[in-house]
Amino acid sequence: MRRLTGHDEGEINRILSREDEILPSSGFAASVMDAVRREAAAPPPIPFPWKRALPGLVVGGFVLAMVFVTVVAATVQLIRSATSGHFSMSLPRLLTPILGLGLQENLASAAGWTVLALLVTFVSVRLSMRLASRGA
Amino acid sequence: MSANDDQTDVERVLAGDISAFEGIVRRWQGPLINLAYRFCRDRGRAEEMAQEAFLRAYRALAQWRKDAVFSTWLFALATNLYRSELRRIPARMLSLEDIPEPPDARDSDGGLEDQDRDVAVRRAVLALPAKYRETLILFYFHDMDITSAARSLGLPEGTVKARLFRGREILRSKLPQLLAVPRLKEA
Repeated sequence: MRRLTGHDEGEINRILSREDEILPSSGFAASVMDAVRREAAAPPPIPFPWKRALPGLVVGGFVLAMVFVTVVAATVQLIRSATSGHFSMSLPRLLTPILGLGLQENLASAAGWTVLALLVTFVSVRLSMRLASRGA
Repeated sequence: MSANDDQTDVERVLAGDISAFEGIVRRWQGPLINLAYRFCRDRGRAEEMAQEAFLRAYRALAQWRKDAVFSTWLFALATNLYRSELRRIPARMLSLEDIPEPPDARDSDGGLEDQDRDVAVRRAVLALPAKYRETLILFYFHDMDITSAARSLGLPEGTVKARLFRGREILRSKLPQLLAVPRLKEA
C-alpha cells in the first residue's frame, strides 16, 4: 500500500469537506413537534410491580436453587452408583427435612420426583392466582 | 445560533412548555438531517433518523448537564443513534472492491470530471469499515475539527486521529487514480 502523501490528504480533505447541504422538508419541524406532543401526552409507562412480584421472585429463586441442589446431588449420587456398579436414584437427604414429607432414602425415586413436581406446580399456581386476584 | 437560546428553550421545556422545543428543532434540524444524510445517503431515511434523534433529545433533555454546550450534547446523542441505526439496518452501499475504477484521467483529454471523482470518493467512504467511516463522516461534518468529532463519537482525540489516518490510507489505496492526479481546474 502506497503511503498517504500530503497531496492525497489535501485532495481527500477538499473533496469530503465540500459536501452539498440538504434542506429539511417543509413539514419536518411540524412533524417532529407532533411526535413530541404525542410523546408528552402519552401516559407514563407503568412501573414494574416489584412489591407484588418480590414474594414470587423469592419463592421462584428458592425453588430454582433447590432444583439445582437436587440435580447436582442426584448427579453425584448417580456417578457414585455407576462407579460402584449399583444404580438407584432417590431424593437427596437434603430435601427430606425441607419438604417435611418424611421421604426415606430408599423411597422409589419416581414417586419422590412426582411429589416434588406437584408441590412446585401447586405453589406456583396458588401464587399466580393470588397475584392475579389482587391485581383485579 | 446562540447557546443562550438553547439553554432558555431547554429550561422552558423542562418547566412544562413543550412548544419551546420547536425553537430547538428549528435551530438544529438542518445540521441533524445533514449529519444523518452523510451516514445513510438517503434523504427520507435521514429525516426519519433526525426525527428520532429529536425525540430522544426531548426525552433526555433533563440529562443535559450545562457544563457542555447543548449542540455538543445533541450531536453526541444523534451520532450514537445514527451509528446504532446504521448497524441495525445498514445503508445500501458497495464494498470497496465493488466500487468501479473510474477511467484513468491521464488517458483522456480533459481529465476526470470533478463531480464524478467527488461522488466516487464519497461512495468509497461509505464502503469503509464502520469505525473509519464514522470517524471520517464526523470529522468532515465538524469542518475538520478533531475535538468536536471526538466529542460526538465519545472517543479520545488520539483514537480519532489514528482512525482518520488509517481511513484516508484505505481510501488512497482503493482509489489511486482519483487521488494521484492533480486537479486540472485548480491551476
